[in-house]
Amino acid sequence: MPQRIAVITTVYRYLSHAQHEADRILVGYPRQGRWHRPDMKIVSLYVDQKPEGDLSATRAREFGFQVYPTIAEALRCGGDKLAVDAVMIIGEHGDYPRNEKGQILYPRYEWFKQCVEVFEKDGRAVPVFNDKNLSYSFEKAKWMVDASRRLGFPVLAGSSLPVTWRLPDIELPLGCEIEEALMVGEGESDAMDYHALEALQSMVERRKNGETGVKAVQLIEDDAVWKAGDAGRWSRELLTAALSRSDTPQGLTVKDGRTQDLVHNGELARLARNPWAYFIEYADGLKATLLMLNGVVADFNFAARVKELGVQSTQFLLTPEPNVTYSACLIGKVEEMFTTGKAPYPVERTLIVSGILESCLTSHNQGHKQLETPHLNVRYSAPRESQHCRT
Amino acid sequence: MLPAQPAPARPKLAAICTIYFRMSHSQHIVDRFLDGYGWNGTHHHPPMDLVALYVDQVGNDDLSRERAARHPEMKIYPTIADALTLGGRKLAVDGVVLVGEHGHYPRNEKGQTKYPRYEFFEQIVKVFRDSGRSVPIFNDKHLSWNWDWAKEMYETSRSMGFAFMAGSSLPVTWRTPSVEMPAGAKIREAVSVCYGGVDSYDFHGLETIQCMVERRRGGESGVKWVRAYRGKNFWNAYQEGVWPRDLMEAALCRSHTLKPARPSFNDIFPTADDMRRLVNDPVAYHYEHEDGLKCTMLLLEGLVRDFNFAARIDGRAEPFSTQLYLPMPDGRTTLANFFSPLVNSMEQMFLTGKPTYPVERTLLTTGLTAAGVESLYRNQARVETPHLAIGYQPTKESTFWRT
Repeated sequence: MPQRIAVITTVYRYLSHAQHEADRILVGYPRQGRWHRPDMKIVSLYVDQKPEGDLSATRAREFGFQVYPTIAEALRCGGDKLAVDAVMIIGEHGDYPRNEKGQILYPRYEWFKQCVEVFEKDGRAVPVFNDKNLSYSFEKAKWMVDASRRLGFPVLAGSSLPVTWRLPDIELPLGCEIEEALMVGEGESDAMDYHALEALQSMVERRKNGETGVKAVQLIEDDAVWKAGDAGRWSRELLTAALSRSDTPQGLTVKDGRTQDLVHNGELARLARNPWAYFIEYADGLKATLLMLNGVVADFNFAARVKELGVQSTQFLLTPEPNVTYSACLIGKVEEMFTTGKAPYPVERTLIVSGILESCLTSHNQGHKQLETPHLNVRYSAPRESQHCRT
Repeated sequence: MLPAQPAPARPKLAAICTIYFRMSHSQHIVDRFLDGYGWNGTHHHPPMDLVALYVDQVGNDDLSRERAARHPEMKIYPTIADALTLGGRKLAVDGVVLVGEHGHYPRNEKGQTKYPRYEFFEQIVKVFRDSGRSVPIFNDKHLSWNWDWAKEMYETSRSMGFAFMAGSSLPVTWRTPSVEMPAGAKIREAVSVCYGGVDSYDFHGLETIQCMVERRRGGESGVKWVRAYRGKNFWNAYQEGVWPRDLMEAALCRSHTLKPARPSFNDIFPTADDMRRLVNDPVAYHYEHEDGLKCTMLLLEGLVRDFNFAARIDGRAEPFSTQLYLPMPDGRTTLANFFSPLVNSMEQMFLTGKPTYPVERTLLTTGLTAAGVESLYRNQARVETPHLAIGYQPTKESTFWRT
C-alpha cells in the first residue's frame, strides 16, 4: 500500500516550491541514476491561494486526489479521523505581507498548529515535512519543535542547500575543530539569506562537541561591511577561498569573460550592491559570518579554517531551472523520513537557523546593534553520515 | 629525436590561437594563465609566464590586444615562429599552448570545420627542428579534423620526443556525483547522453566515454568499427535496442537540464514519444572496441544540455552513472570554470615535462569523431576502423576535478 500524503501549501503553480516538490511524489524524480517513483500517493491538498496559473485543480484531476477547503479536512480526507500517513507543509511563494523586519509572514506555524490539533484530537500523529524555515518567529518555531516532541512525531524541515551537490564534494569531519567560518550568498532577504545561513549551519554543526547554541548576532551593511573586514572581523582569506569556488563573478567577468581575484583586484566594494554581513557568535566561541554580496557573485559558497586541515571550501550547487534537481535531493530526504519514521537530520538545525535569521533582522532593524541571544541555546548533534547528494 | 630539456623552475610559454574573443577557448585558456583562477580554495596564479601570443584572426571583438596591454609581460607576435622564438632565431619558450577552436575557417563537404591545428602544429615543430630542441605542447580539443594529419601530429611528438597532451575539458571537470570508474572494472557496455552538433560536441561526448572506459580491465585496445545513426534511423535503432535503453535512462537521470516534456511540469521523465518530439536531429555514434566493448555516444540536442555517462559493470546490479558537470556560461554561470582543471593539467605537464594523461585518448577520440562524421557522410554505413587499433593504459590516479 502506498503511503498516503497530504500536501498543505500556499500556492501551486509552475516553479513554486509546492509544484516542484509535490510533483516529485506524483511523477517521480532522479535519484542515484534512476528515475525513482516513490511508493507514495498524494491523497489530499490544501492550497491557500489560487492565483493565475494555479495547477491544483488540474493536478487533482490527473492524479486523482481531492483539494479540500481546510487543513483539517485535507488531513482527514473529508472524513472525521486523520486519514494520511504523512504531511508536507510547503509554505513558500504566494502573496503574504511582510513585517517591519522585512520577513514574509508565511503561515507555516499556524498550519503546523492546525495539523497538531488534528493529531491531538484524533489521537494519532504522523511525520511532517516543513519546507524551509519553521517560522519567521523563533518563539513560534520553538513551539512547533516542542509540539513534535510532545506528541512524538518526526519533523524534517529546512532548505535544499544543505543536501544539494557540492563542488568539490567535501564534508567536514565530525568533531573537527573549526576556527572560523564564512559563507557567501546572494539574493533577497528573507528568502535567500535563510538558505545561506542553513548551508553554513549544516557545515559548522559538525564541529567538536556539536551544536551548543548561539550567544550573539549582529547584522551590518554597506561600508561597515568592508570596515569590519579591514578590522579582521571577517577573514579575507576565507572570503578568497569562498569566492574561488564561485562560477558567477560579475563585473569584468560578465564584460569580457576574464577571471578575477575579487578580494584583491579592488572590484569587490565597487560591485557589491548594499552588502550585508551577518555575524554569528556561537556559545562555544566559534565565529561565523554570512556575507550577502549581491552584484558580486550569484552562487553560494562556503569556507572555513579547520584545525589540522587548513582552509576548506566548497560551492553548494544550485542546479539550473527548470529542473532544480537540488529539490530532488531534498525530497529524497523527505521520503526517507516518511518511510523510516526518522528525520535523517535534526530539526534543531532549522530551529536554530530560523532564530539566527530572525535575530539578525532584528539587529538590522535596531540600528545594526549586536544582540545577545540567550534564547538560541539550541543544542543538538549533527548526523554521523553525510546527508548531501553524493551518490 | 631532439633533446627535450628539463623544465626550468619558471617556464615561459607561447600560446598559438585561432581567435581571441569573449567566451572563445583562447580567452578561457590564455586568460587563466594571465589572470589566474580559483583553484583548491584560493586564487591560483600558474607558476609560469605566458610571454608570447599568436592570434590568427583578429576581429572587431578581439580581446588579445586588451590582454597584451594589461599584461605587458606577454607580447603579440605576427607569426607562429616569431611567437616561439620571441622574435629571435631560436626556440625561446618552454611550452606551447595550441588553441585552434573558434574563428572563421572553411567547412568541407562532410561538415568538418577545417581548424588549422595540424598546420599550426607543423609550424611549431619546424621551429623545434630548426632550433634542435623541443618543448611540451598542449593541443586544445581533438588533434585535427583529418585523421592522417592527426596521426602525423602524434607520431611527430613521439619521434621528436616531446610531451604532448590534448583533448576536451570533459575528462577533467567536476562530476555529480564525484565518482571514478574503478580501475580494472569489467565494463559490459557504455553510453553518453550529450547535446550539441556533429564535428563539435560529438568530440566532447566521445571523450566523456573514453576517459571512463579506458580504465577497464586490460586498458584501451582501440576501436574496430563505428556506425552513426541519425534521424529516423536513430529512432529505429533506439527501438531495436542497438544501445541499451536502461543505460540511456540512467544517463538521462544524471542530467540537470532535462527538457520538461509536458507544460507545467519542471522535471519529468520523457516517454519515447516525448523524446521523438523534443529531439529534432538525434545522432548516435555506436562503436565496438577491439576487446568487444560496445559504446554509444548520443547527441540529444533539445532534450538535455549537459554530458552524462552510464555503463554496465560486472558485479554491480545498477548501472554506474554520473554527470561530467560543466558550469556552462550559457546563462547558468559567468565563468566557464571547466577550463580551470584543463589549464591546471597543462601546468603540471609544463612543470614536469610529462603529459598529465595520455594523448592516445585524444588520438582515439579524434579518429572516432572523424569516423562518426564519415559514417554520417556515407549514409550512416558502418565504417571499419583498423587504423584505430590504438592501445594505451590510463593514469593510475584520477585526473578529474575533485578538490
